[in-house]
Amino acid sequence: MADPLQSAGGAVYRSRDPVHNLRLRVRIQRVTSAGPLLPQAPPLLAGPRGPELLGLADRAATGARRPPDEEEEEAEVGWQEKLFSQFEVDLYQNESACQTPLDRQYHKEILKLEKAGGRKNYRIFTYIDHDRFTNLEEHCQKVTDSDHEVPSYLAERMANVRRRRQDRRPIEASSLKSKIITWEPSEEFIKNNHVINTPVQTMYIMGDLGPYGKLGHREYEHVLCTIKVDGNGVITVKPDFTGTKGAYRIELDGEKREVWKYTIENASVQVQPEEEEREQCVFRDLYGRHKEYLSGLVGSEFEMTLPGTLRLFVNGEIVSAQGYEYDNLYVHFFLELPNQWSSPTFQQLSGVTQTCATKTVGWDNVAYFCYPFTLEMFFTQGDESEDSLPQWPVLYFEVLSLDFWQRYRVEGYGSLVLPVSPGLHTLTIPTWRPVELGTVAELRRFFIGGSPELEDITYIRIPSTFKGERLSRFGFRTETTGSVTFRLYCLQQSRAFLETSALRQRMQSVLDRLGGFSQQSSVYNVLEAFQRARRRMQEARESLPRDLIGTSASAVHQLQEP
Amino acid sequence: MGTPKMASATLTFPTWRRAVRSTGGSMAELHVIGQIVGGSGFPRRRLFCKWGLHAGGAWKLLSGSGSGQTQVDDPQADDVAYWCHPLDVHFATKGLQGWPKLHLQVWHQDELGRGEVLGYGFCHVPATPGCHALTCVTWRPRGTWRERLSQRFVGGGPQLRNPDAAGAAADRFRLRTEAAGIVHLQLGVVLRHFGRYGVEC
Repeated sequence: MADPLQSAGGAVYRSRDPVHNLRLRVRIQRVTSAGPLLPQAPPLLAGPRGPELLGLADRAATGARRPPDEEEEEAEVGWQEKLFSQFEVDLYQNESACQTPLDRQYHKEILKLEKAGGRKNYRIFTYIDHDRFTNLEEHCQKVTDSDHEVPSYLAERMANVRRRRQDRRPIEASSLKSKIITWEPSEEFIKNNHVINTPVQTMYIMGDLGPYGKLGHREYEHVLCTIKVDGNGVITVKPDFTGTKGAYRIELDGEKREVWKYTIENASVQVQPEEEEREQCVFRDLYGRHKEYLSGLVGSEFEMTLPGTLRLFVNGEIVSAQGYEYDNLYVHFFLELPNQWSSPTFQQLSGVTQTCATKTVGWDNVAYFCYPFTLEMFFTQGDESEDSLPQWPVLYFEVLSLDFWQRYRVEGYGSLVLPVSPGLHTLTIPTWRPVELGTVAELRRFFIGGSPELEDITYIRIPSTFKGERLSRFGFRTETTGSVTFRLYCLQQSRAFLETSALRQRMQSVLDRLGGFSQQSSVYNVLEAFQRARRRMQEARESLPRDLIGTSASAVHQLQEP
Repeated sequence: MGTPKMASATLTFPTWRRAVRSTGGSMAELHVIGQIVGGSGFPRRRLFCKWGLHAGGAWKLLSGSGSGQTQVDDPQADDVAYWCHPLDVHFATKGLQGWPKLHLQVWHQDELGRGEVLGYGFCHVPATPGCHALTCVTWRPRGTWRERLSQRFVGGGPQLRNPDAAGAAADRFRLRTEAAGIVHLQLGVVLRHFGRYGVEC
């Protein structure tokens, strides 16, 4: 059983074991009617029961005039085990009072009990799920102290449903195919579906707290404990099992104002440790097998990078372009890989989207592309530039429009450096286009199409052919146009990350404490990790015999794994 | 998992042992749990959405359904059709190539029960763990002016012959499209064991 959730005097337990294993031990004791209160009963949880019980009984006997067996009673009750009260014994003894089959069954049981030598319990008895009391209690429960309280409509409905206690099977997946909606719900259907309909079984443990010799009066019956169990193994015990808090008390009305106190314990047979262990072993084995099976399905080798390389994997999308002058836009882009970067041969490094007619959203004309692309590239640390920062790949793009008469117009140029840090990046890149001065150029653009274009698109940033010290763009006229939205999910993979993951986490937390350095440091982190990995690899190479070099990479990998 | 048990498994399942040995019994896993919340900005009401998850050859769908279709929702107040269609899939992979993509098609069902595509959308499943509120924009093929005119009055219009191929970037330039609405998604992404292979997301 899991730990209970304490709620308003009751406790909720969950158990997957069959509920008929549930047993409760209830002990009830009259504290005293007139004298001062006795000290609390000692804990009853551990140790053999016999001697302790005797001792308690002795103590109780010294403080009162009654015989000890009357003052204190203990009973162990199983789930839905019927213990008759004096009242019920008197009632069901004569067969003429029995009306229902249940009554007759009780009659037989009581006769049998008489033959066997009378019942063992006097004050403690139970009402089980089939008893009339259970339904009445359910129905007539008052929630306010108003004298004229009437059960609400919903409560009546609930009681109605509860009493039937039908065992409905949960809806199977296959029935989805047949019918999802009941177009003409019947009365019955509505009744069952508009209220909580978890079948609950209830049991009450009662105490007959009447004066000695006057047992069997209904007005002295008190509920000691209510136990409810639903089909999903949720057990509600109200009040909870007596734990460290001490016994519960009942103070009777009337002139004597007797105080009774009682404890409830969970007396279910516990699982043997060996058995539990065996069960866990079976489960562990099962889960292990299942895991192996799954990894067998997928395959074993996760693709790894070569030592000393960083793999940059970008799942990107050109989402939209907005704010452009003309309609029917498309985007042409390509990726520039700097030195030391390479990409697999199958990798496409450029692309063209479809032509999309815009629509008006707010103030802007927006073209939706949702053009997904995947870029994969490798960075290999070169020898000559160990101390310089690596350049990161750049994505250049141009936005063009194409109209009905097949006239092209350049709408904008832009570029973005692929994000250095892994994760999701949504980038909206503003663009510009070159303009010529004068109305004639604009008229030409409007009527004939075509407009000044960049000869070398890398002029957006520092052109690839540029070798000088200062790049001057003086005299180059541009005009701001719209913007293009990209969404990039960047993944980075490297063996260096394996080694440093623990270290880096520690570093990051320190940097976080210093405040905002982690963003800047990520490049350095990557670099640092590379160099460490490289150095280590070189050392390993030097120290190993020649024939082992080929397999050294995988050996290192094996060592890393926990 | 203890070594003696591994040894017993080797006798019966030799191929599995190799898998366990090389990856330490762990594969990179991706859980996507979320919902297709709804669609907005479409020119018609009564919308439904067909969706499918497409992943590369290195990926394996271990559990959950990889495609489906929502109910038809007819918004009464504004133009947002809410579907709240659950997505719950579990992938395992041995490579990053072919990261799962979500293909969406928004359809309109008219009073006569005829279906008409209003938008195609494609987006990557996020590679970052966490909860993502995504918007996926959509477009639809643009017909000739005659087709557009008839579309306005009787509905219909050109559809993609092979919608899954259009997700691939290579053939996009052949298409002429117009911007359609937006599909709203809420995706929770859980990654497992990617860090073990040196992948940072």
